[in-house]
Amino acid sequence: MTGQAVFAITFYALSVAALSLAFAVVTARKLLRAAIALMGVLSMSAGFYVMLEAEFLAGIQVLVYVGGIVILMIFAVMLTRSADLMEKDPTFLRKLLGAASSLSFFCSTVVVLRTSPFLQSAEPVTATTENARVIGRALMDYGPTGYVLPFELVSLLLLAALIGGIVISRKTLPFEQPFTSGGDLPGEADFVVPLTQSDKAVEGGDR
Amino acid sequence: MIQSFLSAFNNICAVVAQSTPSMNSWLIVSSAIFSIGLYGLLTRRNAVAVLMAVELMLNSAAFNFVIFNHYCKPSTVDGQIMAIFIIAVAAAEVVVGMAIFVALFRYKKTVDVNEMNLLKG
Repeated sequence: MTGQAVFAITFYALSVAALSLAFAVVTARKLLRAAIALMGVLSMSAGFYVMLEAEFLAGIQVLVYVGGIVILMIFAVMLTRSADLMEKDPTFLRKLLGAASSLSFFCSTVVVLRTSPFLQSAEPVTATTENARVIGRALMDYGPTGYVLPFELVSLLLLAALIGGIVISRKTLPFEQPFTSGGDLPGEADFVVPLTQSDKAVEGGDR
Repeated sequence: MIQSFLSAFNNICAVVAQSTPSMNSWLIVSSAIFSIGLYGLLTRRNAVAVLMAVELMLNSAAFNFVIFNHYCKPSTVDGQIMAIFIIAVAAAEVVVGMAIFVALFRYKKTVDVNEMNLLKG
C-alpha cells in the first residue's frame, strides 16, 4: 500500500517536472538554457525507466543522452555562436499554427488511447535483478528472436556517422595542397604554399 | 497519539494508492512530451534548437516502447532493445547534424532555418 502510494507520487512528480522542462526546451530564448532543460527532461526519462523496471536502459540513457548527446549539442550551440544570439521570438501566427497542430495531435492521441483496448498481460510483474544480463543475451542471440543483425548494423551506422561527421565538418583544403593550414573559403586561407614551377606547368596543361 | 497518526497515514496512503498510474497515464505523458517536441519543431528557427525538439520526440518514442514492454509483455525485453537502438540512432543523427550545422555556419555565418534556401529556384 505504502509502496504503491510512493510509486504514484513519484510518477506524478516526475511527470510534472518532465513536462515543464520539456516546455522550457522549446520556449527558452537562450539556447544554452534549452540544452540544460533538455538534460533535465532526459534525466526524468531515466527516472521513468527505473520505475518501469528497465534499469539497464536508465543507465544507458544517462550515459549516452545526458553525458553524450546533450554535451554535443552544447558544443554545437557554442560553435555556431547561437549562445550569444538571443533567438528572435517566433511570430504570433507561427506560434498559433504550431500550438494548434501539436494540440490537435495530442487530443487525437488521447482520444485514441481512451478508446482502444490494449492486450495488457495479466501475469504479475516480477522485479528481475538481471535486466542487463537478459538484454545482453537477446542482443547477442542469433536465433529467430535474437537481435544480433540489427546490433551489428547499428555498429556500422555509428562508424559511418563518425566518419561522416569528421568529413563534413573539417576544413576543405586547397587542391593538391593537403598540408596547408588554410581552407578554400574566403578568409580561411591563412597560409598557402606558393606554387612551384612544375605545379604551374601541370596546372596550365590539360586540366 | 501515535496510533491515530499511523492510521491517518494509512488512510492517506490508501487514497493515493487508488490513483496508481495505469498504462494510459504513462502513454499520455509520453504523448504530451511528443506534442511539446512537435511544437518546438514547428516554431523554432535556430537549427540546433530544432534538433533539440527532434531529440524530445525521439525520446518519447523510446519511452513508448518501454511502456508497452512493461505492461504488455513484461517477460521479454524486446521493447527495451528497441529503445536502445533508438538511442544509438539518435546519437548518430546528432553527430551528423552537428557537423552539418558547423559546416553551414562556416559557410553562411548563420544557422537560421529560414535562411537555408540554397536549392530555391
